[in-house]
Amino acid sequence: MRRARRPRVPVLARVAALLVGTALVAACSRGAPAPEIAVFAWSEYVPSEVIDGFTAATGIRVNLETFASNEEMLAKLLSGATRYDVVQPSDYTVEALAREGRLQPIDASRIPNLGNVSPDFLHLPFDPGQRWTIPWMGGAVGIVVDSTKVDPGSIRSFADVFTEAHRGRIVVVDDPREIVSWALATEGLPINDVDEASLAKVEPVLRRWIPLVRVFDSDSPKRALLDGDVDLGVVWSGEGALLLDEDPRFRWILPAGGSHRFVDSLAIPVGARNPEGAHRFLDWVLRPEVSARISAAYPYTNPNLAARRLLSPRALANPASYPPGEAKLEFFRDVGTGAVLVDQLVARIKAGG
Amino acid sequence: MTPFLRRALAAWTALVLLFLWFPIAILVAWSFNDSRLNVLWKGFTLRWYAVAFSDAGLLRSLGNSLWVAAWATLLSVPLGTAAAFLLERHRFRGRDLLETTLLLPMIAPEVVIGTSLLALFVAVGLELGFATVIASHVAFCVPFVLVAVRARVASLDPALEEAALDLGATPAAAFRRVVLPVVAPAIASAALLSFMLSFDELVVTWFTASASSRTLPIEIYGRIRRGLDPGLNAISTVLVAATLAVVALAGLVRRRSGGSR
Amino acid sequence: MSGAGAASRGSREPGPPGRVARLLLAPLVAWAIAFAVLPTAMLVACSFGRRGTLGGVEPGFSLAAWGRLLDPTVRVVLGRSVAWAGLATIACLVLAVPAAWTIARSAPRRRAWLLAAVVVPFWTSFLVRAYAWVTILKGEGLLNGALLAAGLVSAPIEMLYTPGAVLLGLVHTFLPFAILPVYATAEALDPALVEAASDLGAGPVRTFREVVLPLLGPGIAAAALLVFVPALGLYALNDVLGGGRVDMIGNLVADQFTGAARDWPFGAALSVALLLAFAVAWRLAGRGGSLAASLER
Repeated sequence: MRRARRPRVPVLARVAALLVGTALVAACSRGAPAPEIAVFAWSEYVPSEVIDGFTAATGIRVNLETFASNEEMLAKLLSGATRYDVVQPSDYTVEALAREGRLQPIDASRIPNLGNVSPDFLHLPFDPGQRWTIPWMGGAVGIVVDSTKVDPGSIRSFADVFTEAHRGRIVVVDDPREIVSWALATEGLPINDVDEASLAKVEPVLRRWIPLVRVFDSDSPKRALLDGDVDLGVVWSGEGALLLDEDPRFRWILPAGGSHRFVDSLAIPVGARNPEGAHRFLDWVLRPEVSARISAAYPYTNPNLAARRLLSPRALANPASYPPGEAKLEFFRDVGTGAVLVDQLVARIKAGG
Repeated sequence: MTPFLRRALAAWTALVLLFLWFPIAILVAWSFNDSRLNVLWKGFTLRWYAVAFSDAGLLRSLGNSLWVAAWATLLSVPLGTAAAFLLERHRFRGRDLLETTLLLPMIAPEVVIGTSLLALFVAVGLELGFATVIASHVAFCVPFVLVAVRARVASLDPALEEAALDLGATPAAAFRRVVLPVVAPAIASAALLSFMLSFDELVVTWFTASASSRTLPIEIYGRIRRGLDPGLNAISTVLVAATLAVVALAGLVRRRSGGSR
Repeated sequence: MSGAGAASRGSREPGPPGRVARLLLAPLVAWAIAFAVLPTAMLVACSFGRRGTLGGVEPGFSLAAWGRLLDPTVRVVLGRSVAWAGLATIACLVLAVPAAWTIARSAPRRRAWLLAAVVVPFWTSFLVRAYAWVTILKGEGLLNGALLAAGLVSAPIEMLYTPGAVLLGLVHTFLPFAILPVYATAEALDPALVEAASDLGAGPVRTFREVVLPLLGPGIAAAALLVFVPALGLYALNDVLGGGRVDMIGNLVADQFTGAARDWPFGAALSVALLLAFAVAWRLAGRGGSLAASLER
C-alpha cells in the first residue's frame, strides 16, 4: 500500500529540484566579485572587443547598459535607480547635466591619452573648460538615400525627404529634439530657439511629416534600409557610413540648409561608485589602437588624431564619416524647459493625438 | 458529428498548429543556415551555435536568468503555498483583503507592476540589482502558486486528516502523511510554473533590472532592437529545445504518477 | 468557487487560524504590504509629484500629471490599445475554440501530442517568436522572397512595421493563452450532451450555438481575459514589429519611465488609472460571472 502511493511525489518534485539545482550550480560558478564599472552608453556605439580588452588589461569588469536617446539616458540616470560610473551624453546634454551639478570633474592628469585628441574637439561650447568630459566620437545627422528606389539628385533638404511621394518609405532616428530641429531648420528658424512660440510655428510641419514615417529607430536605423523596408532615412552619420560601406546603392546627403553636428562625450556622474575605474576606462578608449577599433566598428568622426592615422584610406574617404568640404553644421544647445515642450509635442503627434 | 464537420475541425486545428509552429520552424532552420541574411538557404552550418556559445553577454544573461528563476521559485513556492492553506482553511478578519492584495499582480498589467515596483525601489533608495529583480519576480509568481495549490487544497477532504488525528497521529504527522502527498504534485507543478514564468519574463524585469542583473529576455530584446544577429537564432533554438525537453519530462512524470495533474 | 466545492462535500467550515497558521500569516501580510500595497502607494505619490526639467521627480503636490490624462493623446492611444487588444482577442478566440474543442475530443494518445504542440510555443519566449516574424515579414525577407519568386507580386509588399504586423504578433503571442482554458473546459464536458443534441435533430451550427458554446462559456470567458489583459499592457512587441511608434498604452507608460518622454508623474498617473480600470473591470467580470452562474440554475 505505502509503496504504491509513494512514487508520485518524489518523481514530480525531482523535476522542479533538477531545474533549481541546475540553476544554482550555474549561478554559483560565476566566481568571486571583481572590481567593476557600470557604463551607460548609446547602443551600437561601444564595440564588445573594446570592453573585453579593457577587462583583460585592467581586471575591471564592465556592465554595459545602452540607451537610444539622451532623454532616455537622463530618465534613467536622474531616477537614481542605478548608479553609473561612466555615461555618454551628447553635447547639449553635457551642458544640462553640468549645469544641474550632476557631473564630477575629470582629473585630466589621470588621462594621458587626452593628448591624442584634436584641438577641434576640445574646449567646445558645451564644456569650455574641458572639466566634465572627454570626447568619444563626433558626427552629424544626414540623409541616406537608396539610389535604386529614389533619385539622390531629388533630395537636397529635409523637406525633400518628407513628401507624400515617400509616405511609408522613411526611417528616422527616434529622437524628439532631432525631429523638431529639422522642422525648425526647414522653416528658417534657429534650431536652438526652442520655446512655445517657435514650436507653435513648426507644429503644422511636424503634423505633416511624422505620419509619413514608417520606422522610428535610434538603435539601428540602418537595418530598415538594408532590409529594403524603407527607401530613405534621416540617420546618424556613423550609421550612414556603415550603409555606404555595405552597399554602393546608398548615398549620403548633408542637407544644404544645414544640419546638426554632435560630439558624444564620456563623463563621470555624481554618485559613481568607482571613479578610479571610470578614469581608467576614459583613458583606455583614447588609446590610439582602441579608438581606431571603435572607428572600424562604428565609423563616426574620430576626434583622436593618433587613431585616425591608423585608419584605412577607404575609411577616411567615407563621406559620411569625414565629409569633404565645408558643410553648414551646428551644435544643439541646452534649451532648459524647452526640452519638456519638445518631448510632449513629439510624443503627442507620434501617438496620433 | 457529421464526417464533413469532423474533417473541417481537424483541418482547422492543423492550420492553427501550423500557424503556431511556422515561425518557430523558420527560426530553427535559419539557425543552421550558412548565411547572415536569412533570406535564402545557403547550406548547413553549426557556426552560429559556436558564435552564441562564445558570446559572453549572452552566457552571462543566461546565467543571470537561471539564478533569478531559481530564487524566485524558492521564495514564491513557500509563500504561495502558505497563502493557499491559510486562505482555504481559515477564516479571519481581512482575509478577502489579503486575498485581493496577493492576487493583484496577476490581475494588473505587467507594465503597472513593473513601474510601481520601480517607484518603490527608487523611493526607498534600493539600487536596482539582483535583489530587485528577484523580488519583482516573486511578486508575480506568488499569485500563480497560490491559485494552483489552493485548488488542490480545496479538493482535500478534511475528514481524512481528522481520521488520522482520531487514530492518534500528531498534527505534524497527519500533515506529512495525509495532506502533503495529495498537495505535493500541485506544489511541484507550481514550482515548475514559477520557474518558467520567471525565466521568460520581460516587461516587469525591464523596469527592475540593472546592467549587471540583466536577464536573458532583456538581452535578447536589446539584440532584436539592434538588428541582425544570427547567434539569436541559435540561442532561440536551444531555448525551444529546452522547453520541449521540460514539457516532455513533465508529461512523462505525469503519466508515471498516474494521470492526475 | 473553491469554497462552494468544499461545502458541497460537507466539510467543516474553515475556522480561525491556529498557532502555526498565525505564524504563516505574518510573513504573508508583510509581503503583501511590501510588494503590493507599498508599490502602489509609491506610484500614487509619484503621480502627484512634478517632473524635473531633465527627468526624475521633484517632490511637491501637483495635479498636472492627472490633468494630462485628459489629453487627446491618451484618448487616442487608449482607444487604439483597446481596439487592437480586442481584435487580437477575437481573432484568438475564433482560432482557438474549434481547435481546443477538437483537441479535447481526440483519442487520449493523440490528445497528449496535440496538447504538447500547443504548450511548447506557449513556453517559447514571445520575443523570440516576434523576432522570427521579423525575418519572415521584412522587405527582403522570406515571405516577400517567396511571393516574388512565385511571381505573385512584382514588388515587395509592405508587411513589417505595419499595424497588421503588430496584430499578427499579438495573435501569435496569445493564441496558446486562448486554447488552453477552452481546452480545459471542453475536456471536462460530457460528450453525450452534444451527441444528444445531434440525435434530437439539431444541425451542427445549432448544436454549436445552443449546446457547445454555452457549455464552453466559462472557458471562453477565461480565455478572453487571459488574452485581453496582457495584450493591452504589452509594449515590447510593437517596438519590434510596429516600427517604434507610440502605439499602445504600454508604450506610453514605458516611454515616461524608461524612454525618451521621461515624465514619471504622468507615467505614474497613467499606471494608477490603468490599475483602477482593471480592478473595476475585474469586479464587474466577477459580478457578470456570478450573474451568469445564477441564471444557469
